[in-house]
Amino acid sequence: MKFNSDEIASVLQAEIEQFDSKIDVREVGTVLEVGDGIARVYGLSGVMAGEMVQFPNGATGLAFNLEENSVGVIILGDFLTIQEGDEVKALGTLLSVPVGDAVVGRVLDPLGNPLDGKGPVQTTQTRPVEIIATGVAERQPVHEPMQTGIKAIDAMTPVGRGQRELIIGDRKTGKTAIAIDAILNQKHTGVKCFYIAIGQKDSAVASIIEVLTRHGAMEYTTVIAAGASAPAPLQYIAPYAGTAMAEHFMYEGGHALVVYDDLSKQATAYRQMSLLMRRPPGREAYPGDVFYCHSRLLERSAKLSKELGGGSITSLPIIETLEGEVSAYIPTNVISITDGQIYLQPDLFFSGIRPAMNAGISVSRVGGAAQIKAMKKVAGGLRLDLAAFRALEAFAQLGTDLDPATQAQLDRGYRMVELLKQPQYQPLSAAEQVVSLFAGTRGHLDDVPIKAVSQWEKDFLQFIRDKHSTLFTDITEKGDLTDEITKRILDVIKQFKSGYKPVVPV
Amino acid sequence: MAENAQHANVLDIGAEQLGKIYARALLGASLRENTAEQVLDQLRDIVTDALAVNPKLAAAFESPRVSSEEKSRVIDRLFGNSVNPILLRLMKVMAGRGRLGYLGAVSRAADLLHDEVAGRVVAEVSTATPLTDDLRNEVAQRLSQSLGKQVRLKESVDASLVGGMVIRVGDTVYDSSVASRIEKMGRAARDGFARQLLQQSDRFTSGV
Repeated sequence: MKFNSDEIASVLQAEIEQFDSKIDVREVGTVLEVGDGIARVYGLSGVMAGEMVQFPNGATGLAFNLEENSVGVIILGDFLTIQEGDEVKALGTLLSVPVGDAVVGRVLDPLGNPLDGKGPVQTTQTRPVEIIATGVAERQPVHEPMQTGIKAIDAMTPVGRGQRELIIGDRKTGKTAIAIDAILNQKHTGVKCFYIAIGQKDSAVASIIEVLTRHGAMEYTTVIAAGASAPAPLQYIAPYAGTAMAEHFMYEGGHALVVYDDLSKQATAYRQMSLLMRRPPGREAYPGDVFYCHSRLLERSAKLSKELGGGSITSLPIIETLEGEVSAYIPTNVISITDGQIYLQPDLFFSGIRPAMNAGISVSRVGGAAQIKAMKKVAGGLRLDLAAFRALEAFAQLGTDLDPATQAQLDRGYRMVELLKQPQYQPLSAAEQVVSLFAGTRGHLDDVPIKAVSQWEKDFLQFIRDKHSTLFTDITEKGDLTDEITKRILDVIKQFKSGYKPVVPV
Repeated sequence: MAENAQHANVLDIGAEQLGKIYARALLGASLRENTAEQVLDQLRDIVTDALAVNPKLAAAFESPRVSSEEKSRVIDRLFGNSVNPILLRLMKVMAGRGRLGYLGAVSRAADLLHDEVAGRVVAEVSTATPLTDDLRNEVAQRLSQSLGKQVRLKESVDASLVGGMVIRVGDTVYDSSVASRIEKMGRAARDGFARQLLQQSDRFTSGV
């Protein structure tokens, strides 16, 4: 391949000829001190809060603290080459990031710079990172389902498009796994996904990107990464930047799913910045406005009204707790902001119940309205039944003799728990979930040994896919359990059971 | 405050703020008696001649271990006959409040405030070559017109600008230097070329 130097020269010539030079008028200040990702600047007398400034090394900053004699600036980039006495230039604009189809499938930093080595983001469209969320009149109640593909969640704590559902739990309880499964399940639904990694190990982010790529999910997903080695200001703005990219699709009438992994690290980054800026510390040394920091972010997830195109942003914020302490400051804040939470417990996780969701205290405050009718019918009392089962199970451990009715309830419970287990990266469609929960809640599994339930379900679903695939399409289309469909499911179960011998794994 | 003088280029914002308060008081008092020019000149002389040349005197003024009475006596002995009584009283008040170390900041702030009151601004002009008289007059005149204030020029020569000039008034910089224009043009050409390259890369290659 030979490069055509005449063509290159002519392009450069055209660029230079079009160059229009105006006198550069700028508001400036001087760096007084710099360190830990923040700088104090003298001057910049006309700068406004949140305005972008630029340092001589090309790094941008945000005016964060406006004080009587100086301006506190958070540095979004390399702060090691900034020196005392450097000239700081106010840019007169707010921080914005590239948006649109060009960001889909990319791995970006919170400023929209590529991290995946696939060249610059080719777009002229941008959106400001910090905006005030839409008001009451511009919204409508959540009514469409946002299927996560996980039986336990779609049955008991359903999520609707436009909802904020918190995923909370200790470390190593499968929080990220749930979010990743939800992203994988958005394939072919047109929902754009944004995975925002805040303060995580870069190796963890790399393996998530690898999983997404392997399952073909990077075609509709953007990863925004501010790893543990990124300066605190970048970790702080990452969720706002990701939300701005998602908002572009929402305001065009599309749907987006945003995963914030995780907001406790963002709060820590914000605490670091605030303390360095000498803002007064409050509870757990977080600044007074750490609640607003999260509420203004999550408030931007919305279901827009029909007049505005009906687009939505569904968000799955993640919070990591310490030793199951949900009454710590940040967990209580985010619990109170979101529309429900999925609570993951380590003891469930280690006893093999994965997803390790505690059905008793996990709730979805608005998602019920978004559940398809068929799912409502099969999973209606599931949450309460499971809670009753848990109470009974504790009682049964005492070794007392049980009457047959109680024993039957216990047996059903064991099988439901077994049925709600689901391997990672294998999201199920709504129709598949309906059929398999139907078998469980209507007692068709009662004669299957507990240990054989997962295999039974797997083979059963494969049987339908192979021989009765119209059943799935009909359930998906109708969205309801009509008498006709119920009869067909019953027939299929009967047919399957007649030729199937449950296999108990050794 | 430390007794040994701080590093010269460290800007102590607290001191500047304090200086501003005393400067406003000093300017108010001296303007009432129409001696502002004289008082400010004398204050500047004290800071640049007396204190800068005698670090020991400056250290004594700053030191909390020297009592305020002692400082007042020193002030009387050194400046009693030579300076305006308003300035003398200011120094004694500052001595009494343990703020005598901030005289430099007061002087700087008072100069700025006086310029502001008199409708004057200082414009720092940087050029690649020294300004000629004609150019200096023209720059001063044009600046006065556009700012609506009397302009005092503070000139400096910076060869790295290549050509043109950079004017700074307060915190605002008007940059029409050749260096910054070349830099901007270079960036525009680079961005434009990168855009074209990604959009139609085959245009720049010929053959296989």
